[in-house]
Amino acid sequence: MLNEIKLNMNEMPYPPPKEIIEAAQKGLSNLNRYTNPKELELLREFLADYSDVSKRHIILSTGSDFLLREIIHVFSKGRRVIMVNPSFFPTVQCAKEFATKLIKIQLRPSEFNLDADIITNETNEPSLVIVDNPNNPTGKILIDREMAEAILENKDVLLVVDEAYYEFSGATFADMVEKHPNLSVVRTLDKAFGLAGARIGYLIAGENFLDAFSTFFTFLPQSSLYAAIEAMRDPSYIKKNIELTIKERERVSKELEKIGFQVYPSTTNFLLIKTNIPDIARELKDREILVFDISNQWLPGYIRVSIGTPKENNIFLSNIKEIHKVHAWRGHKP
Amino acid sequence: MEPLAKNYVGREYSMKKIGLIVNPIAGMGGSVGLKGTDGEIYKKALRLGAKAVTPKRTKELLSYIKSRKEISLVVAPGKMGETYVRKFDIAFKLIGQTPKETSAEDTKRIIGKMLNGGIELLVFVGGDGTARDVYDAVDSKIPVVAVPSGVKIFSSVFAVSARAAAEMVDAFIEGTDLTEEEVLDIDENAFRNNRLASKLYGYLIVPNVKKLLQAGKEASSIDKSSVDSKNEIARYIVKHMDKETLYLLGPGTTLKAIANDMGLPKTLLGVDAIYDNRLVGIDLNEKGILKLLKKYKSKKIMVTPIGGNGFIFGRGSKQFTPEVIRIIGRENIILVGTYGKISKLECLRVDTGNFEIDKLLSGYIRVVVGEKEEMVMEVRC
Repeated sequence: MLNEIKLNMNEMPYPPPKEIIEAAQKGLSNLNRYTNPKELELLREFLADYSDVSKRHIILSTGSDFLLREIIHVFSKGRRVIMVNPSFFPTVQCAKEFATKLIKIQLRPSEFNLDADIITNETNEPSLVIVDNPNNPTGKILIDREMAEAILENKDVLLVVDEAYYEFSGATFADMVEKHPNLSVVRTLDKAFGLAGARIGYLIAGENFLDAFSTFFTFLPQSSLYAAIEAMRDPSYIKKNIELTIKERERVSKELEKIGFQVYPSTTNFLLIKTNIPDIARELKDREILVFDISNQWLPGYIRVSIGTPKENNIFLSNIKEIHKVHAWRGHKP
Repeated sequence: MEPLAKNYVGREYSMKKIGLIVNPIAGMGGSVGLKGTDGEIYKKALRLGAKAVTPKRTKELLSYIKSRKEISLVVAPGKMGETYVRKFDIAFKLIGQTPKETSAEDTKRIIGKMLNGGIELLVFVGGDGTARDVYDAVDSKIPVVAVPSGVKIFSSVFAVSARAAAEMVDAFIEGTDLTEEEVLDIDENAFRNNRLASKLYGYLIVPNVKKLLQAGKEASSIDKSSVDSKNEIARYIVKHMDKETLYLLGPGTTLKAIANDMGLPKTLLGVDAIYDNRLVGIDLNEKGILKLLKKYKSKKIMVTPIGGNGFIFGRGSKQFTPEVIRIIGRENIILVGTYGKISKLECLRVDTGNFEIDKLLSGYIRVVVGEKEEMVMEVRC
């Protein structure tokens, strides 16, 4: 095993309860069999109950990114794909590859606001709008209900909201799906549920999406399915982890601000940090701390740092302080 | 006869000859809040206790170069190169003379000698001012690797760090392809007053390792190279050009790619005019442009924002005066640029000198960044 501190993929640093791990192990004993459709149905029921929608709207998949890819494949034909920049990177790459026309709206610091008028102006043709809400990597809620309602009024527009960090932000449009056939919400058990290794994603699909997914059937891996069912049987365990993550997020943010870094408010389990120290991600990597360098796809000087355990966060903070000291004499502000 | 360093003997054969020039005063203003060392400012920086930044950067560069055994350096004596090289096991040869107080002219003079000596790559350590001097001396004769040694570096020609620059040197040795990156002319006096006044000064050729470059980073290693992106934009634009329409192409390599795709020449820093696949104007000034605008009914402008600061009008393309823009109209302005450049910009900027025109240009506008990809950017004035 590597000793690296992984603060680059927004994972939950705490393992799930032992009951879930035992369930996953139980699933492994059935490795010679495909998953039982009845158990898949049970997971759908649990997820429908958790999301407060009827079961028919729930589509299962191995990872929410796979669902987003499928949506782009199916619904970008004859439609423009509209996204913000930056956004969840695998989705952007997929849209670049398959969309007939990709329009990206540049978010700019320090507010990272998405202007409702731009979306309205850009959706004057049939469009597929994909928004990660909260946005990855800014951690900001980009659209509210009023804005979503305005977008959904146009029936030529399909709106897909990626709510991978819903459990941290508390903001959701899931309850609007039954009313708006042109809305879908994508979620995952990778983040708050601490099941990134199980790769369970689900779509809360509006009526206009359901037809396309009617033949979409996924046999989830046995261990993933068992773990997910156990997790959804009693999801209350995530509450403590979320609270601890948010508390740590605010602590790390304040500590970084004390040094002089610009840290943006977040509604997720990660922080967006602005720095003038060149190549800081690589310097941290040299110290076996992995963070995500956003300058590869957006403005220079930004890194995204996931919130780890208090111990991991302390190691990150002490190292970034050291790096700052080394650079301070050169005139680099944090 | 130039002095030959001890560890140089017998190692020249088959080695790549690389020039290294260090601007010893670059970046000194930063630590004492002076934002640059152009002109006489560096003396003030010294009085304020500023320390030299370049030694550390140069040492970092040299320590990270992996292909040390495959290169022989040509360096200026003393603090312009020799001092740092001596501490490493790299073959080197001295050239020129370094005065006690160095200046831009020394940089240009020594580079000239290096070029005459047959260097294949020039590595320089400095800031935007040094990049201008290097451009004056090198132009497009050989590729360069630019090591950033300043507080604020705006030209996209620079590597993101000394370590990244070392990797670019290694990539050059391995035979990577080359691309052109911008050198900006930053007005340090304006910058000290918190105003970013810059214009496009020229282009230098660099090893095409986009992820290691300051403002030219691509989205990922699977993305296209800068050259491929420009060619893709060019193909798309040329395919969608209207007939019987005058196209005024501004400065920049993306616009040059468009003209090249049509089989036409293009001045890199000038405004050229095309009508129905024919070149109807070269390196035009405002008078020349206005004359063409009278002659042709349908007309469009194509421009690319300046990397780093995003200016589309008012810097680098002064030929597009407020009068020209007014006649053309906002709806006939086509913006192009690689994703690697555009995604690095917070917004686009205009400063035509005419408030009314600047206001007209403000708001959201699309930039073509690929064959089927556009970015919506805010234009600010």
